[in-house]
Amino acid sequence: MRPWMAAATKACALVLLIALCVAILLGATAHTPSLELRPLAEFYLENCLNPYDKAKWAASPEAVTAMLWDYRGLDTVFETTVFFLAIIGSVALFRFAEVSLASYESKLRERREEGLSIIVRVVTRIVFVLIVALSAAIALHGHLTPGGGFQAGSIFAVAPLLAIAAFSRRFVEGLGLTKNSCLAIRTTGLLFIALVALIPLALALAGVGAFIIQNQSKPWTPEFPGYPAQLGPVWLAGSLILFNVAEFLTVGSGFTLLFLLLALPEDFFRRLVKR
Amino acid sequence: MIPQFLSPFLELLLAFSLTLALVLAYFAIVQRDLVKAAVLSAGQSVAYAFTYYLLAAPDILFAYIPIAVGIYTVLLLYAVSKTERFEEGG
Repeated sequence: MRPWMAAATKACALVLLIALCVAILLGATAHTPSLELRPLAEFYLENCLNPYDKAKWAASPEAVTAMLWDYRGLDTVFETTVFFLAIIGSVALFRFAEVSLASYESKLRERREEGLSIIVRVVTRIVFVLIVALSAAIALHGHLTPGGGFQAGSIFAVAPLLAIAAFSRRFVEGLGLTKNSCLAIRTTGLLFIALVALIPLALALAGVGAFIIQNQSKPWTPEFPGYPAQLGPVWLAGSLILFNVAEFLTVGSGFTLLFLLLALPEDFFRRLVKR
Repeated sequence: MIPQFLSPFLELLLAFSLTLALVLAYFAIVQRDLVKAAVLSAGQSVAYAFTYYLLAAPDILFAYIPIAVGIYTVLLLYAVSKTERFEEGG
């Protein structure tokens, strides 16, 4: 591409940007969505935290989390399962002997200093702690403020990603985030989600009125007391906080596991394939 | 969600961020340096994230920022590191 063409392209893009802004300001889109609530939105907003009529409440002021884990909870459980299967598939692709990797890496260990410059490493140390703290806060407040388990887990995953880039994969593994421990955390989280979702179903099989992934007690199933909405002054929102924390562990460790696998040295694989 | 003094300009801000995303996407496509293209794509994601903020969707914003700006960009850069940095031909 010649220089004048690049300049012309940039000028065209700028003109397009300004022209579209002006056109939209002048009403070119003709119809913008109304700010009034539709009946479905009204239903969720009225019922998700309604202590006066607990027939349809989710005990959570966060309508989005209430929808994700209570009203449409089964969808999220299946999404988590699909994500789990994807991770399992990747791990199966990267299947190899742990021992041969250890022997390969002991040869590399002579180079002591690794990673990027000292500035990057110091900044990464600070940011790493902040990211982990933020993700934990988002997971634990998922039933009260925007965000939830998936968001917190994907934010958490940025921390080991940064650490792999600034330090090395072995630094992350030194923190205890090895392939096997990530897989263990991930499986534990998924089992916990399944447990919380299936306890009411087990009660239903035992003859108590309850339904799968039930959060709070409903008028038509008065026997099931529901998960605790409060613990003293701490608001728990029933099963929502349990699901959020379990999903946080599942997603965070799942992404971390993928990054650990991607950070494996390429020539190790080449040697492994040649053998 | 957005500050009170900004609400009259909501549509303008929406138009700006979405058009900025379009422009950045165009430059990401024509860019021959694949590392620069990945960074431009991350910039496009930032514009989309701003749009989600303007549309009062913080839940999506929190998932979008780490995945589209962080994880997706790193995966692209990782893939570029396995091949050549500059696109050939054309």
